[in-house]
Amino acid sequence: MLLLTPFAAAPWALSTDSPILLGAVSFVALLLLVIIFIGKVPLSYNLMNLRVRWMTTLMTAGAFTLVVWVQTFMLAFVNGMYAMTDSTGQPGNILILSEGSTDETFSNLGFADATDLETQEGVLKVDGKALVSRETYLNVVQPIPDPKPGRPMRRFLQVRGVDEPSLSAQVHGMKLQAGSEWFTDAGVREVGKTGETAIEVVLGDGIARDLGADRKRDVLALAKNNSRLDVGEMFDVGGRQWVVTGVMEPTGSLYDSEIWTKQSQIGALFGKPNYTTFAVRADPDFRKDQRESFLESRRQKAEEAYRKALAEREADPTLPKPTLEVIKRPTSDDAWGAELLRDYFANEYTKSRFSPQVETTFFSAMTATNLQFLIAILFLCFIMSLGGVFGVMNTMFAAITQRTKDIGVMRLLGYKRWQILVSFLFESVMLAILGGLVGCALGSLVDGYTASSVVSGGPGGGKFIVLRMTVDFSTLAMGMLLAVVMGFLGGLIPSLSAMRLTALEALR
Amino acid sequence: MKYLFLVLENIRRNKTRSILTGLVTMVMVLVVTLVFTVLTALDKSMVEKQSNLKAIVTEKWQIPSMMPYSYASALSEGGAAPDDPDAARPEDYMSWGFFVGSTEENPAKRSFENLFFSFIMEPEKARTMLDEVDGLSDEEALPLTTAIQRMKDVPNGVIVGQERLDKMKKRVGDRITVFGRNYRDMNLELEIVGTFPREPARYADSSVISRDYFNRQLDAYQQSHNNKPHPMAEKTLGLVWLRLKDRKAFNKVSGQILASPSFTNPPVKIETSSTGIGGFLEAWRDIIWGVRWLMAPACLLTLSLVISNAISISVRERQLEFAVMKVLGFRPNQILMLVLAEALLIGTVSGLLSAGLTYLVVNGMGGLPFRIAFFPKFAVPLDALWWGAGMGALTAYMGSVGPARRARSVKVAEVFARVT
Repeated sequence: MLLLTPFAAAPWALSTDSPILLGAVSFVALLLLVIIFIGKVPLSYNLMNLRVRWMTTLMTAGAFTLVVWVQTFMLAFVNGMYAMTDSTGQPGNILILSEGSTDETFSNLGFADATDLETQEGVLKVDGKALVSRETYLNVVQPIPDPKPGRPMRRFLQVRGVDEPSLSAQVHGMKLQAGSEWFTDAGVREVGKTGETAIEVVLGDGIARDLGADRKRDVLALAKNNSRLDVGEMFDVGGRQWVVTGVMEPTGSLYDSEIWTKQSQIGALFGKPNYTTFAVRADPDFRKDQRESFLESRRQKAEEAYRKALAEREADPTLPKPTLEVIKRPTSDDAWGAELLRDYFANEYTKSRFSPQVETTFFSAMTATNLQFLIAILFLCFIMSLGGVFGVMNTMFAAITQRTKDIGVMRLLGYKRWQILVSFLFESVMLAILGGLVGCALGSLVDGYTASSVVSGGPGGGKFIVLRMTVDFSTLAMGMLLAVVMGFLGGLIPSLSAMRLTALEALR
Repeated sequence: MKYLFLVLENIRRNKTRSILTGLVTMVMVLVVTLVFTVLTALDKSMVEKQSNLKAIVTEKWQIPSMMPYSYASALSEGGAAPDDPDAARPEDYMSWGFFVGSTEENPAKRSFENLFFSFIMEPEKARTMLDEVDGLSDEEALPLTTAIQRMKDVPNGVIVGQERLDKMKKRVGDRITVFGRNYRDMNLELEIVGTFPREPARYADSSVISRDYFNRQLDAYQQSHNNKPHPMAEKTLGLVWLRLKDRKAFNKVSGQILASPSFTNPPVKIETSSTGIGGFLEAWRDIIWGVRWLMAPACLLTLSLVISNAISISVRERQLEFAVMKVLGFRPNQILMLVLAEALLIGTVSGLLSAGLTYLVVNGMGGLPFRIAFFPKFAVPLDALWWGAGMGALTAYMGSVGPARRARSVKVAEVFARVT
């Protein structure tokens, strides 16, 4: 259930047991209790005015609706990006790139590197076989068949060449959908009667949908699956035909945007015979007895580096302010194994120079673009919300001017100043809540839609992805919070001015 | 003139409402101005030029494009056979390679802050072929031309953008060691000989090293490694820019390059720079669509609603006034125009003010810092002034036309019947 599923992906994530959320809800509930049962605030008068002046109510709430809807829609996009980067990677995996590489595209690893690596103690072995996926990652340019006028003629495909697909799938936790199978050892098959061959591929669910949209109407009419490419269908890349042997189950990860094929086929086709990446599953029991000392040693190194950076900053105040690296305790045996293995390859393994990273950390770091979009969206939504605040302020000032006599009568009836304040604030916040609810409802309609984007950790490299827009509990909570804050701020000054009216002034 | 005074008087009468309406207009126009600053710059970069256009030659099937430098010479001639008098040749060219390194020796401490990204190119081409730099006057481009001259005497010179210089805490004249990341085991000892002009801002974080110097470093690597070339030695050419007279020349040069047997391993593709940029921006297609067709219209609709609300309230309050005006001889359409004029004046002035302030403030900061593909910053164009005024006027009109019609149809008898 969308509304009830907490989903802690993005920075604004609130889970249902979040103290912030519980505190806010408790405060509002208490306030309502005081207002309704203790405060004797003339709420029915405010509700009646909202009903009687329905046109004004609708227009003011409409403005809130639009602001909240835009925020919800944009946050759903960024949420999808965070969900993708955060859910990519197995906690027990490390990714090994060549030294100095921060991106798979620029990494270059040899055959001999893999052979020796597989014999290392910390690498998990199942039935005597090391769980090491040898991979070549490429960004391939594909001309788009029959591009629409004014649209680009090419797209970029993330292609991953692997030696043993079932082993790679085991390492990455990927599964095939029903009716699919992995590509053969040869990685090619004959298609047609003239002996022409096609490269066998398995598609991620997201890219299968993107490529599926290229199909012409007549092909689509005969297709097994209208929404995506399916087993047996073909497409052109690199001057060759590629045939789909399977589609992977969607995982919400970056691998959903990838095309997997035989490394020997694409290495030769694109002039990249070497590997770029080794994905290694760590033995969860690797150096189990050294866990605490490892953690302590990392903490000490982090503190030392921090003290050194502080001293350097004291000598040169122009240096950026240092931050203490937070060393998180791994929460599972898999994660412990991965951290210890990463440390081994980074500091002790000398036969080759690698750049090892825990897989989940590697992909989580690809949030630089996410953060940039998030900041931009929050900035624009903040400015739009200022517009909403001024708008409701305008409405409330007008309402108070028109109802000055009502205020005078209420004062004569014994309502105190603070009750007048709360009364008009309540009206303003109710307008905001009404608009916010409709805005959230409209914004939630985008949940599940796919969109394209790019994620990267910084300059150079990056992955073109197909993400799923995600409207979750946190996003809706942010929308309602925005609406309530706008309503509160917009109604505050007019309510204060209403509060200051004396009965005499009001009735004059 | 009397009419104008009447409009101004009405606006002045309820200052709070007028100011708040103006503020809402300014805020919403600010959002749309910022959004369209980015969108129009991106759209402009993708417009296909018909003359004086630039073509890009890159590897056909992969990014990043990595071609052998031996391609550069033939590509600079447009793939033309030397003895073909009818062949089309480019008016100018520029080759790019990319050197990515770090000024930090310890790999564990490498970060974005000590990242060094440099074009490997013919230094003199930076003046004649770099986008936006080629359009600068000699005076505006003086820092760059001085640096290019200096590189003739300092072969290991590097031109560094001011923003990168500030991040590295270096100045012109300093020496740096750059430890290669994409070229493993190749470290460059460089001397900073100059910087890019402040405008355009897109090169503020870039650097340029000489292609000749880089090729000599590759030779030195080979000599020091048992005559074994660097693994990347045959992949140092990223792309080649060609300046072509018109589309006809582009089509001819395309044919020459694609038919040439010199560019088959790896194969190449040629496209106009606008098409190439469009390909990279395709990844941002959905977010650009959302911002253009959802966010911007939502802002304008919100503004219309708020203005409509404010004008509706105003019309409701002034029913007696409109009735009196009718008695005094004002025609219904004059009352309609009065209400419209009030809204349009607030909307247009607020919109113009907002766009003007945005233009001054954002451009004063050096541009809107929002990195998309090759665009690190976006400058607000002068056109934003009329966008702002236009948006303010349009939304004011849309928001006030309903209330203005209600004002026009005020019935004198009904109004006076209510007055006690």
